[in-house]
Amino acid sequence: MLEVKNLHATVGGKPILKGLDLSIADGEIHAIMGPNGAGKSTLGNVLAGREGYEVTAGEVIYKGKNLLELEPEERACEGVFMAFQYPVEIPGVNNTYFLRAALNAQRKYRGEPELDSMEFLKRVREKLKILHISDDLMHRAVNEGFSGGEKKRNEIFQMAVLEPSLAILDETDSGLDIDALRLVAKGVNQLRGEDRSMIVVTHYQRLLDYIVPDVVHVLADGKIVASGDAKLALKLEDQGYSWLEQGGIAQLNEEIRT
Amino acid sequence: MDAAKTLPLVEKWSEEFSTIARQGGPGWLQELRSNAAGQFGSAGLPTRRNEEWKYTPVRLLEGLRPTTAPDDGRTVAETHFPQPPLCEDAAVVSIVNGVLSFPLPGMMAGVTLLPLGEAIEKFGKKLQPLFSGVELEGAGRMFSALNTAFLDQGLVVHVDKNTQAGNLLVRWALSGEETVRLGNFRLVILLEQGAKLDFIEQFESASAARGALNVLTQIDLSNEAELSHVRMQDEGDDVVLLTSTSIQQAAASVYQYSGFDLGGGLVRHELHTELAGAGAFAGFDGAFVLDGKRHVDNHISVDHAAPGCSSNQFFRGVLGGSSRGVFNGRALIRPGSDESVVYQSNANLLLSRLAEIDTKPELEIYADEVEASHGATVGQLDESAIFYMRTRGLSDPEARRMLTAAFCHAVSDRLRDAGLSEIISRRLDAAMPGDQPIAAEVSDA
Repeated sequence: MLEVKNLHATVGGKPILKGLDLSIADGEIHAIMGPNGAGKSTLGNVLAGREGYEVTAGEVIYKGKNLLELEPEERACEGVFMAFQYPVEIPGVNNTYFLRAALNAQRKYRGEPELDSMEFLKRVREKLKILHISDDLMHRAVNEGFSGGEKKRNEIFQMAVLEPSLAILDETDSGLDIDALRLVAKGVNQLRGEDRSMIVVTHYQRLLDYIVPDVVHVLADGKIVASGDAKLALKLEDQGYSWLEQGGIAQLNEEIRT
Repeated sequence: MDAAKTLPLVEKWSEEFSTIARQGGPGWLQELRSNAAGQFGSAGLPTRRNEEWKYTPVRLLEGLRPTTAPDDGRTVAETHFPQPPLCEDAAVVSIVNGVLSFPLPGMMAGVTLLPLGEAIEKFGKKLQPLFSGVELEGAGRMFSALNTAFLDQGLVVHVDKNTQAGNLLVRWALSGEETVRLGNFRLVILLEQGAKLDFIEQFESASAARGALNVLTQIDLSNEAELSHVRMQDEGDDVVLLTSTSIQQAAASVYQYSGFDLGGGLVRHELHTELAGAGAFAGFDGAFVLDGKRHVDNHISVDHAAPGCSSNQFFRGVLGGSSRGVFNGRALIRPGSDESVVYQSNANLLLSRLAEIDTKPELEIYADEVEASHGATVGQLDESAIFYMRTRGLSDPEARRMLTAAFCHAVSDRLRDAGLSEIISRRLDAAMPGDQPIAAEVSDA
């Protein structure tokens, strides 16, 4: 699905990613954890194609294509989705209208027929129920006046409707209470499938109790410094990130090997 | 003929005034006309030196050199109107080249539509002070003087006490014939106590039309009368639209203006209301979407002359190409007009480096316990919103179009009539400028 090789990226001239390698097979969920400033959000933004994030070396191959050559909307149409850490409010643009326009833009790109509003509503109804999103939210402007939890649920709802192949969840758990976290996790788990991979970026292990990853990576100073299974997340939770800098990485890798 | 061509425009009109004399009407009217002719002749065209016209040069008008000679009054052909009427269930009046078309639509009991001549016979006592009260002095009032000097074509709408008159649609057009005309027209709307009218104006000419309309509208709202005034104009590049609307509001009356400017080579719209009775309300909503070399100037002034009145100005502009928009919103709160409420907001999106907006809110408060706020912003589109939309699959131009349309719909969404709101929103969408090269943030007051 995704091969990231030796990725170097700068933001405003400052190197953030310093040789990141990541390989995700079809259907796998990879968690990326790490301290503040490690480059977690930068990775998400580089993959989504945000301006101002300059790739200085390395490559990203997605389904055999050079992802970095594609415009953000082309990446979306090819099946890459990012759930934003801070979803943007779009005053005056109706949530339903926006999502249908987005879905139809993607369908058009793929040579599929566009959905009319009746077909679209049929498709969204069920997904609204899973995420406990009220109809009222659909009639409001995109994210405008939504609570933090509503915004995050709306991101997962968009993902459910757009059905991407690769989803990047950028700190989707931040700002969520435990009930909202469960709802979001339930929505994400419903979308797990053989041909859908996910990158779950998070600070905390808690989310991973609900979305159990296949692989956990530790990102520090722009590189993956350790990789393991779900137990690695528990270890980090237990020891804290500062432990990594104090020789923890070597110890961790030793543990992973044995 | 050649000599006439080289004559300065105002002198040409002065000469036309003396050769094509407007006869008829009572003595006071004839006196009013010749006095006004003297005024416009000596004042000349407004220039940048007139503070009120600082940002609006009248070059296009000088270039067109339209004649005030009246059209021979041929019947109105449908081809004059390139678009369907904005409103299906309205009584419709057509005014082509500044000439009222007959027959006038039949109206319900309590509602009177009369051409000017007949109206003067019937409502002379009301019309004389109204007409005499129009300010004519100086270059800034030159077009009011011109309108008064050539006062001949007009329509008076009168609604009886407590009568709900429904929808009245006035369709304006220039016919696109060879002669370049300036149509002068006077419109009067008189609402008695508790009367209500939904008044809709649609300015749309044949695409080849060249010329000017100079329309002076006078509105008198008695106690508790309510007028909704929707205006949409989508004129061509060679059309000059000079419109001036003045409203007199008695206690607890309501005036709600909603204006949409989508075209026009040179458009100047003056709106002035005097809130003369306690508890009156005046609302001015407007959106302008401009492209090419269009120039639209909305000049609003609200005079709070009684306590407990409120006024609201809410304008949004989208400018592309090398278009230019002017918004001048003035509110004066006179001494004694305590507990007034005044809101003013003008937000603009510039989509091109060559486009220009001049926005000027003016608030003068001389009363106590006044609630007031005003703000004017000029911005570009929110780049983070555009990126967000693109990550969902929308192309960059689609995302920009959607954001820009939403920005204008904030005005059309406020229309009470859902059908009209929908039609106008679609018209705004269709008018969106093609070029959208720059961006930054939308700010709102």
